[in-house]
Amino acid sequence: MSFALLMRLSLRNILRHRRRNAMLLAAIVVAVGGVTFMNSFIRGFQQDLRDSAVNNLTGHIKVFAPGYRDDPGIERSFYVAGDWRPDVSSGLLEGWAARIRIPAVIMSERETRGVQLVGVDPSQEGISFLGDAFYEGETLADENDKRIFVGQALVDQLDTKVGRRLVIITQGADGRNREAGFRIAGVYDAEGTGLEKAFVFTGRAALQKMLDTREVTEVSIRLTNDGAGSSVRSMLLSYFSGLEVMGWRELEPQIAAMFVFADTAIFIWFAIMMGALVFGLVNSLITAVMERVKEFGMLRAVGMRPGSVIVQVVIESSLLMMSGVALGLVVGWLLCQWMSEGLDLSQWASGVEMVGMRSVVVPRLYGADMMLVAGLSLVLGIVASLYPAWRAVKIKPLEAMRR
Amino acid sequence: MSNPVVEVRGASRVYTEDAVPVHALRDVDLTVQRGEFVSLAGPSGSGKSTLLNVIGGLDRPTSGTVSIDGVCLNDLNDTELADLRLHKIGFVFQSYNLIPVLSARENVEFIMQLQGVGAAERAQRAADILQSLGLETMGDRRPGELSGGQQQRVAVARAIVTEPALLLADEPSANLDSTTTGELLDLLRVLNETRGVTIVAATHDPMVMSYAKRRITLRDGRIENDSTG
Repeated sequence: MSFALLMRLSLRNILRHRRRNAMLLAAIVVAVGGVTFMNSFIRGFQQDLRDSAVNNLTGHIKVFAPGYRDDPGIERSFYVAGDWRPDVSSGLLEGWAARIRIPAVIMSERETRGVQLVGVDPSQEGISFLGDAFYEGETLADENDKRIFVGQALVDQLDTKVGRRLVIITQGADGRNREAGFRIAGVYDAEGTGLEKAFVFTGRAALQKMLDTREVTEVSIRLTNDGAGSSVRSMLLSYFSGLEVMGWRELEPQIAAMFVFADTAIFIWFAIMMGALVFGLVNSLITAVMERVKEFGMLRAVGMRPGSVIVQVVIESSLLMMSGVALGLVVGWLLCQWMSEGLDLSQWASGVEMVGMRSVVVPRLYGADMMLVAGLSLVLGIVASLYPAWRAVKIKPLEAMRR
Repeated sequence: MSNPVVEVRGASRVYTEDAVPVHALRDVDLTVQRGEFVSLAGPSGSGKSTLLNVIGGLDRPTSGTVSIDGVCLNDLNDTELADLRLHKIGFVFQSYNLIPVLSARENVEFIMQLQGVGAAERAQRAADILQSLGLETMGDRRPGELSGGQQQRVAVARAIVTEPALLLADEPSANLDSTTTGELLDLLRVLNETRGVTIVAATHDPMVMSYAKRRITLRDGRIENDSTG
């Protein structure tokens, strides 16, 4: 039987009940648009989680001495040659940094706090949040800079300001305490991510000199492509024999778990929205089919095969679904454009800080997600139409025509 | 030489209504030769519509056999029955049963489309048949825009445009006034006499019976009378 004929019949039958089908179309548009919009927010949240994990001095891959994660200290350090750089093709490597990161106590005239003291080479820190942090005062000049770069929240806690001196106590390589005064070069703003209270930065070489060591406690690598991690990891394991090499998912297991949960959330959200829609679609199609039982009986009486009747109902459902999906994706895209500045979660800032996220989530719309929503919706549309179609052919032509 | 289009042998049809068996047909034997115009008459419940439906493959006999143009319907499944109806039988129903979303021309072309006839040939044959039935100006109208008589003529055009071996009409005049009924019967007579279309019509209407060359009367599911002339 001619597919064109079935298409024409289906299309005209859709137009025959304009109001009902317009309502159904609107429901599909709202569901698909809503799913697309919510997916983009979940993706934005997911992206933010990953960025937070990677930006948070972790990078995609990190190298450190065995035991450092459980008991971080200068005694668990290792040597990195001055001319060493990761053996990774330039297209894959975004940057790398070698740091000393040790626990310390920081004191102002009024307050004392425990912090992570991090010795960095500022020229390498484009790979971490330091690279694009807002700040007041000055950043560290180079790895020999003896000043410190402190977070705004810590400055508030210590009740101090740029230019003032703070005293830091930590343990040197020989196991004895070191105590020194540091002037505040600048105060960074990490956009409420909670990092401000945790990290105090100074020049790496200056800190090595204070601790009396030439070693570092970590090497952090940032890649352009998350997927290239395994090959780079193999290379690092080979070079840094005896050290631990870990990816951000192992280093930030909570964030990694939330990252995976976001994928699941997308499917759960899709299932809820589209599941509800499918019931409406099936109900509407059953009504449409039952209204036309006599007509289907006549079509079969004059020679239309049962299979063609099924195809006709499936085409009607698919046409409605395709139109609704296309319009719904456009609506979802428009909503994303409207919210392109992001959703401000600052009211729940303390909650999002806990996972190191920024307080503004920007929706991210991916072509693959849109294709997935479109594909699954069309499959659901076809599946939803099978039962009404089966109802249409279950009734014998003669019985149908008598109704 | 015998050239039967319809052969019914010992056909019975028993329905069950509220657990009570109803004998709609009882051991009916009927042969319709090619080119005959047969009316099936009888009171309500006599079995004429059931016999028509059994002949058209829309209903299956409880016992006995039915053959159309040499093909035994008892052996066919639903899809094969649909194909047989498509290629060998034209139907004219009491309530026209046109497809409401298609125009008169598209309704006439519909069976040909199911058969896979090419677009140009379809259009030509539809135009010819609509013209011969005086419907050439109605081709673009949908059924809802046509009178009862016009709709029934479109239904006849749809039924005969593919030149089926057999035209079955179930109460074709039931919704028509006497003038329109006369026009329809003139048309059926012309089709029967000039094109040799075999017609079997179930009817209450004496006017329809008067046009048929062979009149069969049923009562209580049996053929009571079968007369020619």
